[in-house]
Amino acid sequence: MSIDLTFIGQIIVFLALVYLMKKHLFGPMSELMEARSKKIAEGLAAADAGLDAKARAEAEIAEQLKDARSKAAEIVASAERRAAEIGEEAVNRSRTEAEGIVDAAREEVHAELGRARQALRNEVADIALIAAERVIESELDAKRHAALIDGIVSSGFGHA
Amino acid sequence: MAEQGHEGGIAGHLHYWTFKIDESNPFMQIHLDTMLISIVVAGAMLAFALWLKGKLVDGAPSGAQNFMESVVGFVEDTVSDNFPVHNPLIAPLAFTIFIFIALVNTIDVLPVFLIGNIAHLFGVHHFRPVPTNDLNLPAAMAISVFVLVLYYEFKLKPLHFCKELLFEPFTNLVPVYLKPFVMPINLILKLVEEIAKPLSLSFRLFGNMFAGEVIFLLISFLLLSGGPVGMISGFFVGLGWSIFHLFIGLLQAFIFMILTVVYLSIAHQPVEH
Repeated sequence: MSIDLTFIGQIIVFLALVYLMKKHLFGPMSELMEARSKKIAEGLAAADAGLDAKARAEAEIAEQLKDARSKAAEIVASAERRAAEIGEEAVNRSRTEAEGIVDAAREEVHAELGRARQALRNEVADIALIAAERVIESELDAKRHAALIDGIVSSGFGHA
Repeated sequence: MAEQGHEGGIAGHLHYWTFKIDESNPFMQIHLDTMLISIVVAGAMLAFALWLKGKLVDGAPSGAQNFMESVVGFVEDTVSDNFPVHNPLIAPLAFTIFIFIALVNTIDVLPVFLIGNIAHLFGVHHFRPVPTNDLNLPAAMAISVFVLVLYYEFKLKPLHFCKELLFEPFTNLVPVYLKPFVMPINLILKLVEEIAKPLSLSFRLFGNMFAGEVIFLLISFLLLSGGPVGMISGFFVGLGWSIFHLFIGLLQAFIFMILTVVYLSIAHQPVEH
């Protein structure tokens, strides 16, 4: 057990070995492991980010679906309201038109009735004239006058 | 090349294969077995590193890469748990210390005379196959770490370190007129404290591994000279000790690494005001 030149030689061997191990084994392996750890960490972060993005997208989709459902419900309600309005408008229009037709028919009936009355008056007048002519022409007594007029009138109204 | 003479018993197996440059100066010699095995282990580590470097894959690792990544991850976690700042040198240093010491310690579980007998075939009379059983290797590593600690102490907080050497803990406790007298005592105690770090680091590893080798030698002598009963009991005791010593070797490698990280971590700690 003595310290001698071996000590110096061992220092040289040891320091050279530290340098060579750092350069050829520890350094490359450490860099490799660090790069791999970094890659794994990045992959995990990307996976987390993907999961977050998926969750956000799902939430956004749910929100959009909710909005779409709400808008669809509004559209359906609006369409139903519009359909009811259109139906009501059609009914009102039909009713107005029907009333117009009825009024027109009634006016026409009135006009026709008026015309008929007028024609009747004219005919009665003509008959009266004819009857008067006959009375004047035939010189009949009162009874015959009355019977004649009644006969004319009844025969005239019978034609009317 | 000079070799130490043959001796019997355990002591005879505790000599190094030594090359003496100057017979009169005990420092001027080299333990060739320690150098050879440590260079072979270092070379094997480098060859493995170059081989693995060419086979590294970005995707899911397998086989050797998977195993080494678990070791690198373990060392990086240990360093990051203890270190207040990032220093790119610390983790590779801790990794090299752990792997190198674990590998050279593992040589100790080979049959105790195996490599020595192989060396005998090549005319080498003494061969110690485990470099950590030679104080030179643990001391070299501990001193390297200690120098690194001093470097960071002076680089990161030079005034604080000098102040600590001179004033903490005793000088600050005495009145001003006594400070010049207490300061040298404080300095000596602090130097002892600092020097104890590399000493304990190196002697812990050396002592454990050396004691383990001596126990292996004792068991082997029991196995070889105790008759049939000694052989059978020696085999099982040797097997048990091999398994335990494998664990001790790994534990010592871990302790050396963790203390290195802790000492360097202390040197990197920010100054508290």
